[in-house]
Amino acid sequence: MTDRPELLLGGTPAARRFGLLNWLGFATFYRREMARGFKIWKITLAAPAIRAVLFASVFGLAIDRPDVTMGGMPFMTFLIPGLIAVAVLERAFESAAFSIVYDKTEGIFGDLAMLPLTPGEIVFGFVSATLTGSLMVATVVGAALFPFVGLFPFDLFALFFFVGIGSLMIGFFSQIAGLWAKKWDYINSVQTFIFLPFVYFSGVFFSLGSLPAFVQPFARANPVFYVVDGIRFAMTGQSETDPLFSALVCVGVVAVFWAISFRLFSVGYRLKS
Amino acid sequence: MSDVTENQHLKPIDTPVPAVAPPRVRQFGAVNWRGLWTLYHREVKRFFKVFTQTLAAPVVTTLLFYTIFTVALQSRVGTVGTVSFTVFLAPGLIMMTILQNSFANTSSSMMTSKIQGNIVDVLMPPISPLEMLCGFLGGGLTRGFIVGISATLAMMVFVDFTFHNPAIILFFAFTASTMMALLGMIGGIWAEKFDHMAAITNFIVVPLSFLSGTFYSIDRLPEIWQTVAHLNPFFYVIDGFRYGFIGQGDAPFWLGALVMVTVDVVLFLVVHRMLVTGYKLKS
Repeated sequence: MTDRPELLLGGTPAARRFGLLNWLGFATFYRREMARGFKIWKITLAAPAIRAVLFASVFGLAIDRPDVTMGGMPFMTFLIPGLIAVAVLERAFESAAFSIVYDKTEGIFGDLAMLPLTPGEIVFGFVSATLTGSLMVATVVGAALFPFVGLFPFDLFALFFFVGIGSLMIGFFSQIAGLWAKKWDYINSVQTFIFLPFVYFSGVFFSLGSLPAFVQPFARANPVFYVVDGIRFAMTGQSETDPLFSALVCVGVVAVFWAISFRLFSVGYRLKS
Repeated sequence: MSDVTENQHLKPIDTPVPAVAPPRVRQFGAVNWRGLWTLYHREVKRFFKVFTQTLAAPVVTTLLFYTIFTVALQSRVGTVGTVSFTVFLAPGLIMMTILQNSFANTSSSMMTSKIQGNIVDVLMPPISPLEMLCGFLGGGLTRGFIVGISATLAMMVFVDFTFHNPAIILFFAFTASTMMALLGMIGGIWAEKFDHMAAITNFIVVPLSFLSGTFYSIDRLPEIWQTVAHLNPFFYVIDGFRYGFIGQGDAPFWLGALVMVTVDVVLFLVVHRMLVTGYKLKS
């Protein structure tokens, strides 16, 4: 019946105690976030795969010669890891931010704020769902793009690491953006005017070496570049920077975003007014 | 004392109430111009209110696409036909954004009204199905043209546009925008949830516009796929629109014009029929 028999006997209810982590609450919250994504799997899983295939097709058709190269490898080999990265990052951006803004505009954010979950658990719950979703997208998109070049991952561990760290980076960013956004307009603006330019100029479609020299330092200041370059290393074995350095940059950026998101949830920024 | 003076104005008025004729049914001419104008005005205000999303975002996205394709491919593709890749690409991108925004305007308007239940605001006023159709269509056309013109102006910074034949450019912009606004209405009337709409956009509109020859000349395709591509109305739109700019195309522009007029007329009749019968709107 219950694990708290003292309530049945009319005893005074005591505050419930949780260990280091409220596992039940965390698991419930995680399951809700996953169910949200799965309910519209056509949009969250099938659509990214179709978009990636479309991009690969139009680039493939626009290039008339098979010997076209980019970044020292055949163009399509260069492109495929980039497209996987884009799909992962877009999915990560759309996960937490959309949940938070939806709950805020519908006025049901209290469902989450009232639970005995600490800010740390909420942040961790959101990002766990983001990470799971991104890994699934990476698998589906990778499989859909496989027929184009027949590319097998060069380093499976590195691939797992960079897909995961990229998903965490944008996942935390997505939480911050979701908290900041008061309406859907805000989140769409962040997506179009900040997120997409950062992703499109991160070396997904072209190597930074093909940019004009004076732009290159700015392009290298873009943290997304290190995610994309890392994923490209994991898929092909070649990269523009040392993958170890990329990994360090990614971990650093993730730590900063994690701290910011944690802080914002702790103070209830734009949630508890 | 003070009460009396204060309440002076409450005294019944002696003047007789003028006799008023009982209200009559309002009469309109052939067209209820005010009703049509009001609906059109609402449709335009709808998207202007969120102009960062509806006008600025499409232009930025178009510029992003232009940049990535140019940086990635210009030195690797060189020329398409006799023109450089960028000159070939730019009209197609402008047309793609016109297509997507005309579609988005009517479909989202229909969809939102249906979900929020305020579709009756459009169904109850004394406007005929034809006027309703024209009001929505006008909104879609206006957004398509504003976005198209803004994208062209923004891209003029980077591309040396030639305007081979402005009349053809306008013709294809108009027929394409009409086609998509009407398709948006069909989608909006048919769809029951936002998921359905997202599915139409992701699985029909985006693939058709990507594979329409915006990014490559259609004669690059294998024989069979060329035949398939010629069945895609988006191909004629992009091809004809580009012909208006650069004076060369994969298909003769009169064929494209013929296809577009036919498609528009058919869609117009379909939407009109839907509104007359009240398909999925009046149950």
